[in-house]
Amino acid sequence: MTVFKGRAWKFDDNIDTDQIYPGKYLPLTDKEEMGKVAMSGVEGFEDFSQRVSKGDILLAGGNFGCGSSREHAVVAIQYAGVSVVIAKSFARIFYRNAVNLGYPILESEAVDHIGQNDELEVDADAGLIRDLTTGEEFPCTTLSGLELEISKAGGLIPYLNKELEKG
Amino acid sequence: MGMTIIQKIIAKASGNEEVAVGDKLWCAIDLAAMRDFGGPNVVLDYREMFGDQPVKDPEKVAITFDLHLPARDTQVANNQKLLRDFADQTGVPLFDVETGVGQHTLLENGMVRPYDVIVGTDSHMNLLGAVGSFATGVGTTDLVAAMATGKLWFKVPETHKFVVNGTFQDQVGAKDLILHVLKDVGTDGLLYKAVEFEGPTIDAMDVAARITTMSMVTEMSGKIGLIESNDKTIEYLTEATGGPIEEWHADPDAPYVEERRYDVADIPPQVAAPHSPDNVVSVEDLLGTHIDQVFVGSCTNGRVEDLRAAAAILEGEQVDPGMRLIITPATQNVAKEAVREGLYNIFIEAGAIVTNPSCALCTIGHPGVLAEGDVTMSTSNRNFPGKIGKGGEIYLCSPATAAASALYGQITDPREV
Ligand code: SF4
Repeated sequence: MTVFKGRAWKFDDNIDTDQIYPGKYLPLTDKEEMGKVAMSGVEGFEDFSQRVSKGDILLAGGNFGCGSSREHAVVAIQYAGVSVVIAKSFARIFYRNAVNLGYPILESEAVDHIGQNDELEVDADAGLIRDLTTGEEFPCTTLSGLELEISKAGGLIPYLNKELEKG
Repeated sequence: MGMTIIQKIIAKASGNEEVAVGDKLWCAIDLAAMRDFGGPNVVLDYREMFGDQPVKDPEKVAITFDLHLPARDTQVANNQKLLRDFADQTGVPLFDVETGVGQHTLLENGMVRPYDVIVGTDSHMNLLGAVGSFATGVGTTDLVAAMATGKLWFKVPETHKFVVNGTFQDQVGAKDLILHVLKDVGTDGLLYKAVEFEGPTIDAMDVAARITTMSMVTEMSGKIGLIESNDKTIEYLTEATGGPIEEWHADPDAPYVEERRYDVADIPPQVAAPHSPDNVVSVEDLLGTHIDQVFVGSCTNGRVEDLRAAAAILEGEQVDPGMRLIITPATQNVAKEAVREGLYNIFIEAGAIVTNPSCALCTIGHPGVLAEGDVTMSTSNRNFPGKIGKGGEIYLCSPATAAASALYGQITDPREV
């Protein structure tokens, strides 16, 4: 069972990868360093990585992670300490990158009804978000099929390694 | 039931007779490309996960340098060296700092064919749909997996059909069409979807115009855009690859989720205003807007046909005194052709800066960054906030509109110069 508990950080629609991980940091290859600049391209969130606590939850509107193909975007959010991203929808490459890294992402309309900083509990297997601050509950998607298998294996590479072993 | 082009490509790559929308299939990868951005992470991850294991098929991997070049600081230089060393060790072909934008370099070097499945660390890989391949931007992990195993999974997308009729007005072309379509479809209109363009206007397009059109499908969140072959694409590919090249078409009864029709006869030059590529208006609505800098280039509009369109307007003229006009050919081959045709003379005489082939001012990292509050016209594909400098504003347009605006230091209708 996968349950995440943390504070909600809310973002708008169309947060692109340049906002999640500004282009000037592209030459970085150290993941901890990458985590320190997560979300720093969003106005008002330049110091996000200092304010976020381990386990916190990122909530966003539609098309989260649009823009470039940089996997840095997922890695940065992960290393900043965010436990799960829940958006109305994800840009295709961001979604794929997250699955391949075994990083949890879920789709839900909940962002419209949850307050900034609310305490949340997310049951990723049941597809349920509980707002502990207001007591409200919202449905979210769960992973299924191939994406679930890849995610369960811990990402694409461990998944492929297992497949290769099987022959 | 017939199949769309993307279905045919995925069927072939996955070894199936037929595939249906929604199927998730493992496909053989024909080419996995990494760049100087993203590439170093790929190599580090590959080494971490697979150690010294040789790349499965070095011929099906390529490294292109197109973003930060030549290296501007030690970190970038080290990253490039890491890639050169990896190429030496593995036998993967590498196109070094002089060659230019990756997708165009791969195309010019005959490494792209119709029905190919190609992945790369750039979100605009899918412009290769212009020549009938399924190319898509991926992250580091996909690329590592493709290098190690030669396969990746894909979901067969639904396909939209956009039919385009009519003849362009003078000084109006592919970029104006695709901005017009983008306004209609929106930046998330094709999320997880494929699109095929067809109709007389598309039939008449050369490879460069098709590339411009397909490159902007990314801005609609499309997985891939495709255009069936015409004589010009077959001829181009035959020359680049040594041929023979098979035609590619959808079946007459292929399933489309939706069909839209466009007519280009009446569309004026189009401009995407800050800060979204679908924030598109007619150039007429922005006339006189002050511009500090103009960029002609990128994977979207960096071919010699694009440079010709700019040169036709700049010939014998001078850019506005306060104007910084930066022109970047997509590749070394484009640069050579532009020199042969005398386009460099025209640009330099007009007061432009012509830079080395690269992605240049498509994104931050190249000289030419905007000051806060500066405004640029760009032939690139994105105008997100901060894309080429915090506090800068970007208007997207065609090479003709960009060149005309450079002459007057303000947004200008290229039909009026
Ligand atoms: S010009 Fe821009 S979008 Fe095109 S390949 Fe280069 S960085 Fe990517």
